Formats: sequence, C-alpha cells, structure tokens
Amino acid sequence: MPRVVLALLMLVALPLWAAEPKDLTWSEMIPPDAAPEVPNMTPLHDLSQMGNALAAESAPAAKQDMPNAPVVKSLDGQNIRLPGYIVPLEVSEEGRTTEFLLVPYFGACIHVPPPPSNQIVHVKSEVGVKLDELYQPYWIEGALQVKASTSELADAGYQMEADKIYVYELQE
Amino acid sequence: MYLFRLAMASLANRRFTAILTAFAIALSVCLLLAVERVRTEAKASFASTISGTDLIVGARSGSVNLLLYSVFRIGNATNNIRWDSFEHFANNPKVKWAIPMSLGDSHRGYRVMGTTEAYFEHYQYGHQQHLELADGRAFAADPFEVVLGAEVADALHYKLGDKLVLAHGVAVISLVKHDDKPFTVVGILKRTGTPVDRTLHISLGGMEAIHIDWHNGVPARGNGRISADQARNMDLTPQAITAFMLGLNSKISTFALQREINEFRGEPMLAILPGVALQELWSLMSTAEKALFVVSLFVVLTGLIGMLTAILTSLNERRREMAILRSVGARPWHIATLLVLEAFALALSGVIAGVALLYVGIALAQGYVQANYGLYLPLAWPSEYEWTLLGGILIAALLMGSVPAWRAYRQSLADGLSIRL
Repeated sequence: MPRVVLALLMLVALPLWAAEPKDLTWSEMIPPDAAPEVPNMTPLHDLSQMGNALAAESAPAAKQDMPNAPVVKSLDGQNIRLPGYIVPLEVSEEGRTTEFLLVPYFGACIHVPPPPSNQIVHVKSEVGVKLDELYQPYWIEGALQVKASTSELADAGYQMEADKIYVYELQE
Repeated sequence: MYLFRLAMASLANRRFTAILTAFAIALSVCLLLAVERVRTEAKASFASTISGTDLIVGARSGSVNLLLYSVFRIGNATNNIRWDSFEHFANNPKVKWAIPMSLGDSHRGYRVMGTTEAYFEHYQYGHQQHLELADGRAFAADPFEVVLGAEVADALHYKLGDKLVLAHGVAVISLVKHDDKPFTVVGILKRTGTPVDRTLHISLGGMEAIHIDWHNGVPARGNGRISADQARNMDLTPQAITAFMLGLNSKISTFALQREINEFRGEPMLAILPGVALQELWSLMSTAEKALFVVSLFVVLTGLIGMLTAILTSLNERRREMAILRSVGARPWHIATLLVLEAFALALSGVIAGVALLYVGIALAQGYVQANYGLYLPLAWPSEYEWTLLGGILIAALLMGSVPAWRAYRQSLADGLSIRL
C-alpha cells in the first residue's frame, strides 16, 4: 500500500520537476552570428515584368468596337419602351438598383468585344428596381436623351430617366 | 366583450401554463424578427458601403473575392498588382479619378490601408456621400501619419497626436510589429457605418516605409535596419499595390475600360463593376438567408403548436366548466368563441412580449454588434414586412385556436348539462 501511495505521489510531483518554459521570440530563432541577408530590392513579385516583355509579341487586347459610335439624334426626347438586360451601377440601401446600364445581351459576353456605345443606355430611376437575377430581361419605359459626341472622351450615347421598369415576358 | 373578459379570467385561472405558453411564442417571435432584422441590415450595410465607383481592379481572382477584400476588408488578396499598371490606367483618358489601395497590415485587429489623398476626395458611400473628417486633417507629405476610422478611434481611445505601431499580418494580436516606425494620428474620420470606420489609413509611402528594411520575409537585424528618419529620405514610391478603384468620365465607357483592363498585356488583372459583384454576392447569400428564415418560421410554428397542445389538454378538465357555462345560458358558439379568444390572447401577448424582447435585445447588443461585426442595428419601428409577419402569426394562432374551439363546440353540444367524466 505505501508503495502505491509513493508511486501516485511521484506521478503528481513529476510536472514539478520540469522547469518553467522559456519565453522565446521569433528573432531569437535566427543565430546572432548569421550572415546578414543581401539586401534584395526586387519588387514583390519577381516575374512581374515578364508581361511587359511579352506584350509586344502578343496580339492587342479586344477593343470596344467604335467607342464613339454614331447615335440617332432624332430619338432625343422621344418616349420609348426598350427591352434589355440590367447591369447595376448603384444599389440603394433597400437593395434596389437605382442606376444601371441597359444592354442587349446578358453578361457582356466575353467572347466578343464589348457592345459599341450606341448599344448601351445609361438609365437612372428614382424608385429603382429590385433585381433578383441578372439574367432576367426588363422593359424600360421613359424619355430617351441622346448626347452627341463632344470630345475624345466617350461621353456620347443614350441616357434615360426611367418612368417604368417591369419584367420582360416571353411573347406567345 | 363579456366573452373576452371571461377568456381573460379563464387564462388567469391557469396563469402558470398561460405565461409559459406566451413566453414560448415570445421567444419564437423574437427569433424570427431578429433573423429578419439582421438579414435586412446586413444587406443594407453592404449596399451602402460603396457608391459612385465604376470599376474596382485587382489581381485576377474572382469578382466576389475582389469586392470582399477591397471594399469590405474580408479575406485577403491573392496577389498584388504593379504600381505602373495602376499608373497606366489612372492616366487613361476615360478615367476621371483613381484610388490606389494597399492592404495586408493591421493594428490590434483593425485593418491598415495604404492609399492616397484621392481616397478622401473621391471615395463615396451610402447615397453618394463623401468621407468627412471629424477631427484633424488628411495625411500629408510625411509618410508616418495615420488617419483613423471612427470606430478605431472610439474603441482604442485614440486622439490626435497619439503614436501607434502597426503590425504585420491581420491578426488581433500580432507577434511581429514594425515597432521602430511609429505613426502619428493626424486625423479621425466621421462615422460612416461602413468598413471605413474600422480601418486605419496611411499613405502609400508609409506602407512602403514600414516594409522597406524587410528582407527574405523577416525584419532586418542590426545594421540592416533602416530608421524612420532614414526612410523619410528614401524614394517611397510603391512598387506594388493591392487594388484600385476607378471613377469614369462616362458610365457608357465602363464595359470598354473593363475589357481593356481584363485583357491588359502587362499583367493579369480583373476589373469588376461593384453593382454586379454585389448582386452576385447576394445571390450567393440568399440560400443561407432562406434557410435561416425557414428555420425561424418552424420555431414560430413550434411555439404555436405548443399553445394548441396546452389548450387541447385543458379541454377535458374544463368539461364541467363548459357545462356550468351552458347552464347559465351560454350557447355552444359562445364556448367556441371563448376558446378562440383565449388562443388569440395568448398569441397576442406572445407577439407583444416577443417584440419587446427584440427591442431590449437590440438595445443591449447594439454597441457590441457594431464594434465587432460592423453591423448597425437601429431601434426602428417594425417595417411593413415585419408587420405582415406579425399579422401572419396572429392569423395562424386564430386558425389554430379554432381546432380546440370546434372540439369544445361539439362536446358542449353532445354533453349538454349531463357529463359523465
């Protein structure tokens, strides 16, 4: 019996023999006499300049076809109804899209160049529209404003203050 | 009216069960409303974080990922992009303004962002609101100046002129600090209710300066160290940044520039329209939202079924009571109405207590939730949708109440005055 007690006592006492752990900082893990690093001032990613070297050999990026495409001026001020897909720009706190681009096809398809500027309408709407899915087309009603090209900057194009926005249904 | 009084008195007679039942309904109503509140507020705060920015550009990854780390400071960038790529597009004739951002460091759990003065001038949130300084000024030529978000200043009790040390990495407790280059607080921004509140803003030069003497992934030792004063005299033009935001002269040219950036030959980059990325994020979240909503609806249903059980079990012991009511002239439909009223009263008090519980909960948790999750829960009146939910619960309670009512109606017709228990 005393032996068992002794064994148990030793079990309890065992952790006491171990010394307090030593606090170690990460810099102490590098030997103090280690050779100093050679200052290496290369940018954060080393192959970053490679793209530039290859740029000359590769084909140019797909450009927007006619960024300043001609617009039909006679449409200015006309009350129109146009179907299209909504690309949201501004979303209100209630989750309603109040400013968006209306385009003729969904997702600004990446296989072809982006649509020319006369195939995009910049729409603003006071009430906005609650978008559930980006691939749902909508009818937009309102007066179209046509801005002719004024300078090199692509500010030509169609704009609209939408009166009504509603879901486009497939016609029977 | 006397029926209602009778219903109340009858409930009061069994007040312990009644209170428990109402409490179960209150808890479930509180849960349903809380889920609804957090859901709408989270959405609103996401939507109001960025406004007026046409394109966000970063290293090629995913659009939601880029939106999350650049605007919401959630997660980390996959890679940096080169400074000259930024300059290339900042000087594009279609671009009106450009804000560079450099992320990756932190101070006591708050993210540090390196940027330029353009950030204070052009960054917009909410309804095209600009950032405003509550105190002090934006950082200027000296690289070791920092502008705090409102939440950072509040939580850590910093004021103008304080010195603080930024840390490498994004943990709350960082073990590797840039402690030889302290920053001075020169400005504190007004509260915006966006992640800006939880960010420390330094200049890109400052970001460059704190990393200038790091070699091979560790801070320099001994002679390799570069002091703050030495750093001030060095060329601190950054070589890389994490992302940048662009405002365009014409929204119509958004697609054209987006394509130009995505197909940039210099390095792989990704340009996103924040509105589109936000929409994608919501369709991601909507599944989880729906699941939460369905779960809380079932909890409400459980509460109501608990009420139904309590009333149904009491029916048998109350047959004598019904008989007495009949004997003093109550018609069977009186008995039925009495039971429907009891159910309604239980549900109504449950709903009222639930709403009260919600408001007490919001009032208590508001500060904590704002500080830790950046989510502002307003003590606002229930929205139209919430009223509809509450109304729906009451109607459901009425429908459920009609089950024991119908049984009591049948029993009182069959039993009349002579019951055999």
